[in-house]
Amino acid sequence: MKTRKQQTPARKRARPGPAKPRAKASVKARAARSRVAAAAEYGALTLGVECTAAEADALKAELARRVAASEPIIVDVSALRRIDTAGLQLLAAFVRDRRTGGRIVQWRGQAAALELAAGLLGLKDMLELAGEVGR
Amino acid sequence: MTVDLTQFHDAFFEESFEALDAMEAALLKLDVGSPEPELINTIFRVAHSIKGGSATFGFSEIASFTHSLETLLDELRSGTMPVTVALSDLLLKSVDVMRAMLRAVQAKQPIDSQRVSDLQFDLEVAIAHKSEAEPAAATPAGAAWIVAAESAAGGAAPAAQQAPRWRIRFHPYRELLARGNDPLRMLRELAALGELAVRVDAQMLPALAEVNPQDCYLAWSLELPGEVPEDAIRQVFEWAEGDCDLSIERLPGEQALPAGAQDAPTPVQATPAPVSAAPPASAQHGAHPPPAPAPASPAPAKPEAPVSALGDSGSIRVSVEKIDELMNTVGELVITQAMLSQLGSHFDGPDAEKLRAGLGQLERNMRELQESVMRVRMLPITFVFSRFPRMVRDLAQRLGKQIELKLTGEQTELDKTVLEKIGDPLVHLVRNSIDHGIESPEARIAAGKPAEGTVHLDACHRGGNIAVEVSDDGGGLDRDRILAKARARGLVGPNDTLTDPEIHELIFVPGFSTAEKTTDLSGRGVGMDVVRRNVKELGGKIELKSEPGRGSRFIITLPLTLAIVDGQSVAVGTETYIVPLISIVESMQLKATGITRLSGHSEVLSFRGDYLPIIRLHELFGVEPRSRALHEGLVVVAEGDGRRVGLFVDDLLGQQQVVIKSLEANYGHIEGVSGATILGDGSVALILDVPGLIRAASMRTAA
Repeated sequence: MKTRKQQTPARKRARPGPAKPRAKASVKARAARSRVAAAAEYGALTLGVECTAAEADALKAELARRVAASEPIIVDVSALRRIDTAGLQLLAAFVRDRRTGGRIVQWRGQAAALELAAGLLGLKDMLELAGEVGR
Repeated sequence: MTVDLTQFHDAFFEESFEALDAMEAALLKLDVGSPEPELINTIFRVAHSIKGGSATFGFSEIASFTHSLETLLDELRSGTMPVTVALSDLLLKSVDVMRAMLRAVQAKQPIDSQRVSDLQFDLEVAIAHKSEAEPAAATPAGAAWIVAAESAAGGAAPAAQQAPRWRIRFHPYRELLARGNDPLRMLRELAALGELAVRVDAQMLPALAEVNPQDCYLAWSLELPGEVPEDAIRQVFEWAEGDCDLSIERLPGEQALPAGAQDAPTPVQATPAPVSAAPPASAQHGAHPPPAPAPASPAPAKPEAPVSALGDSGSIRVSVEKIDELMNTVGELVITQAMLSQLGSHFDGPDAEKLRAGLGQLERNMRELQESVMRVRMLPITFVFSRFPRMVRDLAQRLGKQIELKLTGEQTELDKTVLEKIGDPLVHLVRNSIDHGIESPEARIAAGKPAEGTVHLDACHRGGNIAVEVSDDGGGLDRDRILAKARARGLVGPNDTLTDPEIHELIFVPGFSTAEKTTDLSGRGVGMDVVRRNVKELGGKIELKSEPGRGSRFIITLPLTLAIVDGQSVAVGTETYIVPLISIVESMQLKATGITRLSGHSEVLSFRGDYLPIIRLHELFGVEPRSRALHEGLVVVAEGDGRRVGLFVDDLLGQQQVVIKSLEANYGHIEGVSGATILGDGSVALILDVPGLIRAASMRTAA
């Protein structure tokens, strides 16, 4: 408890009044970016900050649009910070379906969240993540 | 099919407050900069279980707040966010707020929403800040787990294969995700317990176009090192219960350990009995592999881990053997005390009165001690009932019926041994009710009943017994069909007329079934006789009441415990016998006119318009009676297997609870005797088994 009492005022000093509006704005910015953003080029898909159950419907729509495309699809994961089972499951189905059809998926950028989550769920092989991320 | 959750509120609050204390302690120990992964896991687990609990109980404000907190903690745990002074302060504030919210909900007071939403905002800000400011901070090196994802070629490391391991098969149902459970989070928690090997089964994952994003199609086969406590594993899946198929089995080591090391569990390991009123999580899983020798703490063996110190302070786990031993000793004490009381009653002299007062006190204390020990073994029947909602839902779906399951009296307590054995008979009865009892929705509507049928499970205490009732509002027993079937099978003569109880009795005949076609549920005629046998083995009885078109009721009456029986002691000559009170209908003195002698040696007595055979206990047991004249002794009307008989005895001595000593274990089985006990004077009295007596007597008559 001693530590705590000492820390409380320190925190108050660190975050004076005006900090709040700025913080609020950043929450909004995050919310906007967390949507699955459809990139300009059709063959590329940039994943948002979050690919979780909340965004799964949108993600599925984006993936479904590209699943049968004949050109290679590049999935950019560099913005991705959070992904859950719902998101990974969609990506896994997408990659598997493309592979079955002899079509290519490439990963662009690095996302520790994706690496860790895919490893935990045992989906690394299925997502063909092993050598692909960072390319 | 709704379970009244309010009954678990107290347990939830109690556990949550304890958990928050643990969380606070962990937070205070958390080192800024280089946090101990164990501590972060402890903190995360607290937030996670409070979130799950409050969501289950509908405390949405707490659930929402803890969700934000959990998200933040998840960042900490995955190492994507460093622990700063400000952050640990924020987390401590969260503890205060959660505590305040829980207190408010507990006291049914409004929650201070302003304070909550302010802090929740701060949490969100912290999460957002980190997502922006430190994208590259993902340092798996600082993370709390190691994952050995099983590659197609490699498999787990050979060293790991030698040691005993847990194999966990985790098959989520589709709706798992929609219920707010994320397998990723569970697997992460498992990985925090020890080196986790993961193999995913994605066979059920349909083509992308067919995937419902909110459904879970994946299943996992996991392996953890054997030293992880089983409880810790189960705790991870606690909130997914009912939303997944889960099996946890222990794989023996291949060579590393000498065989004896695993085969000799210490008493503490052997099937620990959850003594507290903990949530029924662990008891529901069928097979219990021998748990690892570790404290029941969710944290992996870390002596200073705060959860083991604080989280379990409300209850302890004790092996059943220890309690049985205690029970046995108390039983011996009861006998000694009865002996002393008997001795004391013969004393005269100046101090005799004091002695008797002391003995009286001893007797009261003895009884209290005995009851306390018994209570330790008692568990609420909800441990058995809780399996039914799921079962009823599945069966109803398969049979295309609409069924509501009502559960009442789940808190009724009974002895653990009885509890373990009552499950199967109840499953039989509930299945029967659903399969045979409840009609199809169309038939129900045609009969003017609501389309949805009701199956009701109820438990209550009646005297020293527990009555468990399975009732339904279905069609009831079909008298004519049962009779026709019985005639066809030659069980009943073509012109015999049967009373309702006699017809009901027919369904307990082995191999009897009226089902037109055998389903995989019931109808093979192996059900009811097994149910009755199981119930009888527990010293109980089963009754059936049925009204055509209105439904049927099965009432199982069981002793609360198998260790003690409420008995009536009766004298036959110089011997004393104990008749279980549950079997006794009435005791009476006979007039010479009330007896009718039939051909041969058999005698019957007229009892409320019925004629009951008289069993002379002295003849059956070869004892010299005080008197052979029926009107000079007494008759105890007893019931067993739906039949009543008059037991002829010399005298009634008194009612007492007696400690059952197994005759079979110490001597051998005798028809008509269920056990023995030691009386206060040190003599042995046999405890009578009325159904067995009836069988023994009818065999004698037949011979």
